[in-house]
Amino acid sequence: MQEIIRVDGLTKRFKLPHERINSLKSSLINLFSNGRLNYEIQTVLDDISFKVNKGDFFGIVGKNGSGKSTLLKLLAGIYYPTNGSVQVDGKVTPFIELGVGFNPELSGRDNVFLNGALLGFTRKQMEVMYDDIVAFSELERFMDQKLKNYSSGMQVRLAFSIAIKAQGDILILDEVLAVGDESFQRKCFNYFDQVKKEKKTVILVTHDMSSIKRFCNNGILLDKGKIIASGNPQEISSGYEKLNEV
Amino acid sequence: MLNKIFSKQNRALTRELVITDFKLKYQGSVLGYVWSLLKPLLLFIILYIVFIKFLKIGNGIPHYPIYLLLGIILWNFFSDLTLQGLTSVVGRGDLIRKVKIPRWIIVFSSSISALITFMLNFTVVIAFMIFSNVSVNWNVLWLPLYLLEIYIFASGISLFLAAAYVKFRDIGYIWEVVLQAGFYLTPILYPLSKISNISFQKLIITNPVAQVVQGMRYSLITKETITSERIFNSGLYSLAPFVIVVVVFGLGAIYFKKQARYFAENI
Repeated sequence: MQEIIRVDGLTKRFKLPHERINSLKSSLINLFSNGRLNYEIQTVLDDISFKVNKGDFFGIVGKNGSGKSTLLKLLAGIYYPTNGSVQVDGKVTPFIELGVGFNPELSGRDNVFLNGALLGFTRKQMEVMYDDIVAFSELERFMDQKLKNYSSGMQVRLAFSIAIKAQGDILILDEVLAVGDESFQRKCFNYFDQVKKEKKTVILVTHDMSSIKRFCNNGILLDKGKIIASGNPQEISSGYEKLNEV
Repeated sequence: MLNKIFSKQNRALTRELVITDFKLKYQGSVLGYVWSLLKPLLLFIILYIVFIKFLKIGNGIPHYPIYLLLGIILWNFFSDLTLQGLTSVVGRGDLIRKVKIPRWIIVFSSSISALITFMLNFTVVIAFMIFSNVSVNWNVLWLPLYLLEIYIFASGISLFLAAAYVKFRDIGYIWEVVLQAGFYLTPILYPLSKISNISFQKLIITNPVAQVVQGMRYSLITKETITSERIFNSGLYSLAPFVIVVVVFGLGAIYFKKQARYFAENI
């Protein structure tokens, strides 16, 4: 098996200011009190290590506040590690959320092109894909309307339709299943089946254990910034259920 | 390395960000893009009335109204670029927190927006030049270099300000004061010849913005402009503004690069 992501002793700490320090005065005061009074250090991820192989459908599970989102941001390269390293052999889709950069004042069409550029597409590439994206989202009639007039479901559909076109060897999906109605979920599942067939590497963050069991072949369970179970999806989901019982 | 910096993706992203900027800037206004031309036009009328008819400051300088207008749009370019740069990173916090895009592109695209606005303003200056028969000579070839100089200077400052603004919001207020002081310390509204003390003249022209403003006026409008070459007799010291530009850009870029890693968590 070819390794595609290797995480080694990854630690991420945040300085949490008690009062947000973003003026010179408060930073001067902070300087004189040696900074001890004004912030505490929170360790969000504590020395975690794991590997993801090429073609894995990798699940990351954990309760709220366990460090999942921070881990994703580190994998995507949005955050920089405090300690340890993240080595990625390939291109990670650069977003961790659907519809990043969507602007309510722009038309659906303009938003598609802006979002595409954020995902690393040129305008020409987007023009080729545009009809496909619109067709998949079933929003043909609304593309010239401003995004603020879309319902939230419509926005998600549009965002998802663009996102699945994103190239990259590693796909990061954060809680995509938490939004949208049943037919949208079915669309997601069909899409998961398809990428699984294509042997793309997917990292899925979700609270939905049935989809972990259905799609994932590997994964980790996070609790308070540490890995408490890894590997078998069955074990992970039963570990997660145990966590929730307490 | 340049290939990597100006890769297809980066160019496409810059383009979309700039287009978005302009679409949002003029949305909801009836005249839209026309305002980019109307603004300098109206400004010209005011300048003409106050400085030519009322104050008669520019006596002895040919085409003084155009001379003034050029100075002002150059200053506006500098001030727009740095002010937009300052807020660019914080203003695009939503992107920074959620997508991995090269951080500098956000500052870069805001600088391109300012550059486009300047170009539109500049066409108005050219129109007035043609209208009042300003004779153009070979010095006009220096123009792109002057523009490049002020662009690089302003971009270096923007990079520093954008990164510092993430941590210290006071920077915004400080910079506004600096800009206001700079406006009066640069020979925009008054000709440099009105300052009789040569040491002050030297000090003022060492500011790259002043050097560019005077240089562009000299090469575009009239030889009756005091340039840095004239003040420093083309000595070694006349290189000072260029050295400042390079140093400022270098320091700004280094600081930005160092801070950029932590933008996502600090915003």
